[in-house]
Amino acid sequence: MDVYLLSQYVLSGVVIGVVYSLMALGITFIYGIMKMINWAMGEFYMIGSYVQYALLATLLGPGQWWIALPLAMGAVFVLGLLTQRLLLRPMYVRGVERRDEYATIVTIVLMVLFRNLAVVLGGPNQYAPRDYARPTTLLTLPISGNRFVALLATLVLLGLFYLLVKRTWVGKAFRGAAQNRVGIQTAGVDVLRLDMVAFGVGVALAAAAGALLAPDFLVYPEGGAISTFKGFEIIVIGGLGSILGSVVGGVLLGVIEALGSVFLSPAYKDLYGFVFLIALLVVRPTGLFGERERLV
Amino acid sequence: MINRCRLIAALALLAFIVCAGAMPTLAQAPVKIGVLTPLSPPGDASAGQFIVRGAKMGAEDVNARGGVLGGRKIELVIEDDSGTPEKGAAGFRKLATQDRAVAVIGQFHSSVMGAVQDLAEQFKIPVFSTQASAKGITERHLTYTFRTHVIDPDRVALWNRWIKQQGFKRVVVLAENTDYGVGVVEDCKRLFKSMDVGAELKTMIFDRAVVDLTPQLLEIKSWKPDLFINVGIGTPTYLIIKQASDVGLFPATPMLVSYDLPSRPEFWKNLGEKGNYLTFIVYYHPTMKLTPRGEAFRTKYRAEFKEDPVYGALNGFAQIWLLADALNAAKSDTGDNLAKALLAGKFEGWNGAISFTRGEGPYWQQWTPPMLFMQYTKPDQAFTEAKIIFPPEFKTGDLLKK
Repeated sequence: MDVYLLSQYVLSGVVIGVVYSLMALGITFIYGIMKMINWAMGEFYMIGSYVQYALLATLLGPGQWWIALPLAMGAVFVLGLLTQRLLLRPMYVRGVERRDEYATIVTIVLMVLFRNLAVVLGGPNQYAPRDYARPTTLLTLPISGNRFVALLATLVLLGLFYLLVKRTWVGKAFRGAAQNRVGIQTAGVDVLRLDMVAFGVGVALAAAAGALLAPDFLVYPEGGAISTFKGFEIIVIGGLGSILGSVVGGVLLGVIEALGSVFLSPAYKDLYGFVFLIALLVVRPTGLFGERERLV
Repeated sequence: MINRCRLIAALALLAFIVCAGAMPTLAQAPVKIGVLTPLSPPGDASAGQFIVRGAKMGAEDVNARGGVLGGRKIELVIEDDSGTPEKGAAGFRKLATQDRAVAVIGQFHSSVMGAVQDLAEQFKIPVFSTQASAKGITERHLTYTFRTHVIDPDRVALWNRWIKQQGFKRVVVLAENTDYGVGVVEDCKRLFKSMDVGAELKTMIFDRAVVDLTPQLLEIKSWKPDLFINVGIGTPTYLIIKQASDVGLFPATPMLVSYDLPSRPEFWKNLGEKGNYLTFIVYYHPTMKLTPRGEAFRTKYRAEFKEDPVYGALNGFAQIWLLADALNAAKSDTGDNLAKALLAGKFEGWNGAISFTRGEGPYWQQWTPPMLFMQYTKPDQAFTEAKIIFPPEFKTGDLLKK
């Protein structure tokens, strides 16, 4: 096996894995705070890509992707706030039984709704923003400028997210809520408002992935479907609720899929990650960085 | 006795009034034709939209000329199959049972066509492949399946001739894991041997749902092919072109797209300059001489949409007219009589006469349009300006390599 070629496969997996980890981070962050799975995450990714395309095609012009990106994230953040306030919050204030099932149903309905809304509003066709940058080379890998930009932007966003969680008062509140929702209320934190912000931040991360990958993976109503699966795979591999796990899981999944599709068969590319996931769960049921539940 | 006679007379009069009242209604009841086609992802929704566009214009045209069966209007019932067999089957059942469609056109994805043609036999309703080309569709020799589109072995045979003519020595085929993609790969392997193409062939099948094909494209690049055949449909076709360009595979290596997607107006919007130098197969070219019916359609289409029609629209239009003519020839709207009339008649299509014979293998109730290879040679080039590079008898330019 040509080492040069092997390094290209691994690098291509690492790059896409890092970008997908944004999606996973969003899922795991929302889960960590609200203890619910957002099944419509892929649709927020898709909406992010549509907003990015619409901004570039109408208001900003093709070269202004770096302005469009925060705007797309902001728009989806606001959509996330509204979604949480109107549809998800009621289950936290009225003591709804089987809260998880309620959240599952609501977010699955949202998934179908957003997908169909995209068909109604944007038509069923694909769109693509113009390239963010010219093709380049990353070590041994010839790579699209878009993907290189996506990689760098993801690293920046991951860094900002880390700072938000570790170095700010809100971040401290997030960590507190993740550990004990009741306990943090006794410290005077409005946990319902915190939920709203967490949901907004989580879906905005998915929107960032959608906006960054839009020129490479196109913009279309079902564009988020595949990334949702990847996101869920990553958080289970990395460990539900673990931020570090999201990044490591993303990279691992990307590399496994890249190598599997080359050395085994590209027809089953999505299968390799699942096989790895099952094998990992047998050995380590909490994922790589997940923690066992601690009961007092 | 008199009362009894009066009663009979009154009943007869009532029956006459009821029948007389109903007859005009019956005569004017529209004839419903189903258009079952992909209008949402994961199907090639753009293709479906063009087919619907053509079918609607066909129905308008037929109705403006007096309709069918002595004045009955054609009414289209449009159903979205999303390019998935399960949605296609559900749509066909609805068209057959709820809408009482007399025939169904619009089939684009071979996998969906494969699922609905069994239902067509069950309900005795003719179903038309408008752009589904897997050979198995007509190879099954079913009574109610008709096709006015190319079949894949012919497509592969033509590109094999081109490969020989160009002297390509290493050819790679990257195909999606659908009936169409897998079928093309099988035909390729078989015909490469039987036609003695004299080139090395590498085939790869990818999962249609996958959006990142970089590892496969890197592998292909390392194999150093001198021709790359892209057998994706819809979104995957675009993804392959974009990502092949990003890894430096295309246009350094010429790429042939296996169908007419690049002739659509949105092509350059989606690809920008990455679409330049692309070679692709079409079944219609704006310089083609059409039948009077086809010419009238083209003129009306240009006036209405300010662009040239694409093949899917032409074929959708022609299939509606084909059914209208067959309904009139059959003097009946039952599927059985319609199928017999389709087999017996000769009909005016968009670029020539269409007739169906029951030939061997896939040439069963099959009519094939021409195929041309075209190439874009500058970014944003209009489809009308692209060169025809194959077959030699229609050639207007040579393959341009970067």
